[in-house]
Amino acid sequence: MCSFIYRGGQMNFNRVFAIILRHIFTTMHQLERFFDVIISPVLVLILWGFLSTYVQSIQSQTFAAFLLGGMILWVVFEKVSTDIGVNFMFEIWDRNVINLFASPITFLEFITGLLAISFIKIMIALTSMWLMAGIFYNFQITSLGFGLALLWVNLFIFAVAFGIFNVSLILRYGHSIGPLTWILPFFIQPFAAVFYPISILPPIFQKIAFVIPISHVFEGMRFAFKTGQFDYNNFWAALILNAIYLTASLAFFGYTLRNALRSGRLVKLI
Amino acid sequence: MDKKVILEVKNLVKKFNDFTAINDISFEIKEGEILGFLGPNGAGKSTSIYCILGLIVSDSGQINIFGKDVIKNRSEIFKEVNYASADFYLPWNLSVWENLYVYAKLYEVPEAKKRINELLDIFEMTHLKDKATRDLSTGLRARASLCKALLNKPRLLLLDEPMASMDPDVVDKGINLLKRIQKEEGITVLYTSHNMWEIEEIANQVIFINHGKIIARGTPLELTQNVLKLEGEEPNLRDVFIHLSRGTDEL
Repeated sequence: MCSFIYRGGQMNFNRVFAIILRHIFTTMHQLERFFDVIISPVLVLILWGFLSTYVQSIQSQTFAAFLLGGMILWVVFEKVSTDIGVNFMFEIWDRNVINLFASPITFLEFITGLLAISFIKIMIALTSMWLMAGIFYNFQITSLGFGLALLWVNLFIFAVAFGIFNVSLILRYGHSIGPLTWILPFFIQPFAAVFYPISILPPIFQKIAFVIPISHVFEGMRFAFKTGQFDYNNFWAALILNAIYLTASLAFFGYTLRNALRSGRLVKLI
Repeated sequence: MDKKVILEVKNLVKKFNDFTAINDISFEIKEGEILGFLGPNGAGKSTSIYCILGLIVSDSGQINIFGKDVIKNRSEIFKEVNYASADFYLPWNLSVWENLYVYAKLYEVPEAKKRINELLDIFEMTHLKDKATRDLSTGLRARASLCKALLNKPRLLLLDEPMASMDPDVVDKGINLLKRIQKEEGITVLYTSHNMWEIEEIANQVIFINHGKIIARGTPLELTQNVLKLEGEEPNLRDVFIHLSRGTDEL
């Protein structure tokens, strides 16, 4: 089974590119996939942009930055984590699973292709949101400087761990679980302290928040907006938690794939 | 000179809980041969093919392709293997050309565009290359799948009812095209079908499987003579199929 997952650690980037190409072609033919990349984040930005403008007018500029910055970074996590599962679902909807995995591709190459396409999409979404926020709300998320990249790295890693977990759920329970995987990120949102600090949560929820990597990312973002400094404590906390979640997610994926190959569930996904 | 063994299946067993899908089957296919793999629905044909493709892990037994263990050398082996089934078409929203190009990249086909154009030409689909796969008829979709299956000039081709639900004219054209390409490129083929005429036309050897066990094997003519106790010179796999499906006598 190991050779199915990673083929002795070797990665063939031609096959990764093939997966990217497959989704670029799909997006070109299905405009709703393109809208999902640009229109949805922009609509969310418009909503939160007006809210932030209002908050700014009645309270403080920093709080408005918390809201808008929180929303932009949340979109990174939400889109990447769901996109990986949705792109896997495309292979099932297209009855392409057997043809795809009858080819020399390994699961590692396939997942890397899905991550790459999610990365491309989120860069497009981020750029459109960054431009919109700058032009219409005079909000520069890039004012966080290099720290933004570090925050983004932690968000992306957790989104990847979450996305791989979603793919594992689909492998285990089939395509009927798909819609659940799209809303799973919102189960985390209340504890992720996206728009408010962890300290305002009830003690039991604070404990949950502390073990969610992205709550540290949002804490770090607020710290940076407030002080202009980068919060290394929260950065490392998020990175260590991410390492644990990514390892757990990959282990769960390996376990579900092994079971899917033994039980014949992979070929029934079609 | 002895031909090389391309596919070797040894004592393959696969159970799903209490149900034995494959019960200790062994067979091999030599270079350039076309093996017809017959059996009623649920006999274990597709499960065997999925085991060969490494998409189902068997409980015991071994599968070697080109002399190498499939499970341990999957990516290396599958560069030279391909698969097609009428059950699984190529992604519907992509055009025929886009689909073939994606698969050419997956199989690392050298000079991909040239090979795609060559196959589209052979299968008389050049004028359809920009059409979305969903807009093709069943027969044309199956032909596109066959183009995909031949992209990497496979040494071993696994065809699981590739012409199912096609009209006889399309099947006839498809079989003739396949025979031509198989001869030109020396491909070894494992071919399943419920259409006995297809198997008579294409297969050198036939294996009959029922309840997960191989119950008969031989050339189409040998099977006809042995199973039906006939001495004619024309194969009649349709009657062999009915006879073997209804009885369980191992030959």
